[in-house]
Amino acid sequence: MISLAGVTRAFRDGDRQVPVLRGVDLEVAAGEITAVVGGSGSGKSTLLYVAGGLDAGFGGEVTVAGLRLRGLGPARLAALRNEKVGFVFQAFNLVSGLPALDNVILPGLLRRGAAEPRAALRARGQEALARVGLADKAHLDPARLSGGERQRVAIARALLARPAVLLADEPTGNLDAVTGATVISLFEELARGGAAVLVVTHEERVSCAAGRVLTLRDGRLS
Amino acid sequence: MSGRGLLALALASLRAAPGAAVVDAVASALGAAALVLFVGLGLGVGDAARRMFPADDRLVEVVPGPSALSGLLGGGRLDEAARARLAALPGVQAAWPRQNLQVPVAAPEAPRGLEAAWAPGMTLQIPVVGIDPGLVAADTRPGVSFADPTGDGPIPVFLSRRLLEIYDKTIAPTWGVPGLPRGFDPVGLELPVRLGVSIVPSRSERLVLDSRVKLAGLSDRVPLYAMAVPLDTVRRLHALYRRSDPGYGQVTLLAARPDDVPAIAAAARRMGFGVDASERSAAERVGTVVAVTTSALAVLALLMSALAALAIARSRAASVAARARDLALLQALGASPGDLRAVVLLEAALLGGAGGLAGVALGRLAGLAGDLAWRRLLPDFPYRPETFFHFPGWLLAAGLLVAAGAAVLGALGPADAAARVDPARTLS
Repeated sequence: MISLAGVTRAFRDGDRQVPVLRGVDLEVAAGEITAVVGGSGSGKSTLLYVAGGLDAGFGGEVTVAGLRLRGLGPARLAALRNEKVGFVFQAFNLVSGLPALDNVILPGLLRRGAAEPRAALRARGQEALARVGLADKAHLDPARLSGGERQRVAIARALLARPAVLLADEPTGNLDAVTGATVISLFEELARGGAAVLVVTHEERVSCAAGRVLTLRDGRLS
Repeated sequence: MSGRGLLALALASLRAAPGAAVVDAVASALGAAALVLFVGLGLGVGDAARRMFPADDRLVEVVPGPSALSGLLGGGRLDEAARARLAALPGVQAAWPRQNLQVPVAAPEAPRGLEAAWAPGMTLQIPVVGIDPGLVAADTRPGVSFADPTGDGPIPVFLSRRLLEIYDKTIAPTWGVPGLPRGFDPVGLELPVRLGVSIVPSRSERLVLDSRVKLAGLSDRVPLYAMAVPLDTVRRLHALYRRSDPGYGQVTLLAARPDDVPAIAAAARRMGFGVDASERSAAERVGTVVAVTTSALAVLALLMSALAALAIARSRAASVAARARDLALLQALGASPGDLRAVVLLEAALLGGAGGLAGVALGRLAGLAGDLAWRRLLPDFPYRPETFFHFPGWLLAAGLLVAAGAAVLGALGPADAAARVDPARTLS
């Protein structure tokens, strides 16, 4: 589902290029949870954004859900993210001004081509919110949700979109133990449904749930 | 992205910062209101001016040429032969002659039913001009005859439409008599006249005839200063009073198209005749003043719309900067840079559209308020309009479209900035 081969990524700092990824090779299969750990600034988030088609400035080869990302234009990359990839971030998972339910159905609203009827989409969104225990918070603005609730709304969004690939960036970083465990169990549920889950984290409780834990150090995975 | 997705995101963005949205909409509303109000004022004043100075852009008024040149050029006198030559000019559809009556006509008493509107003891000397019935055919009601009467029937007359307004607003107050009743239709009114009578005793004729004139209609094509009767009536009276043929005082040419008028006027001048452009010039001068003033006000309103666009540009730019993480998240969820550009432009269009709607309503309300104020402040005068504003449908649509268009133009830069948000950097 996710395949990275010899992936490099560098950023410009003044006149010099600072390499962040120095030839990363990674395979994540369907139904597998893979955790990537590493120190702060090691490039974990960059790895995630490259794998999710959010950062197109990489070298090497990246294939997601059978699609090679190199050379894809912004519109094709956007369609890939919309249809095949789900993201869960440590924070800023929800669009302000949109109630929780509308945030859940956003991928459906953003979809190109034949759109699912809005009523059906909202019904599925409500169902997804119920699965993460937030059925009664559907109409609340993100500002009125706790950190854990926002995280669960983001996961409900992933449940609704049924992505082939779920990419999570420090998903439990701001959560208490109970809420964090809930989030991890939802990841496991998505993996059981066939999603390839790649989590970057520095938390042991997440890496413990992963089938495989890789360490990113000096721009390489080991 | 689907249309409903765009709309949902645009509305969400506006809901997230309602204060800025209201300010932007108010700016758009002021621009639209100014446009609707100013252009509506220009159009309304233009309408009033056209009623005051009616000018048919297909008419050419030919008058006798300067006597000094007429002999040299073989032209100058307007008679039937000259009328026929003028009628044969390219582009001329009709040539209607008019001839001044050389016999004095006086009205010693009021029309029946309008005695109150007549100054006591007054005898009115009335200039009379004979016109070709074709000149007023369009203003002649069905069933009404405008032809020299046979027997003792009243002489049909036409009056200038403007004369009634001037009588009502200027003459009647000066005489201290009541004006014409509201909704009064004067057509059919009869006035006793004495043919051959002048208020200057030495100018009166030996032969004095009592007669009547009957108003057959009102027209902008007859002179303001005279009573128009059929040309055949003038010819008959000239024969009766043994007057030699004075020729025509004027021949009105009807051009096939307004564009033909300059060539026809030039040809008439080459034939040795004069062209009386005073009415047309007055109308054109008024039209020019109104057009220039309206244009200046419209430019001012467009400047206000441009300022609204600038305000929206600043506000949307600030909004895009504040929402960078939201925009990056949307990209993560599948929005393309083009989608983000479209969302920001739609936000602006919604603000401009809402502001435009409010502005159009505001402009119309301001027009109503202006009319109310002027009705109270301005004295009555001829052709004072009921309203100084005219708000045609296209103007209201233009107010809305200009407001929305200016808002969208103002949002082009911020929309581009939204499309350039780097999701990886912003979400890190």
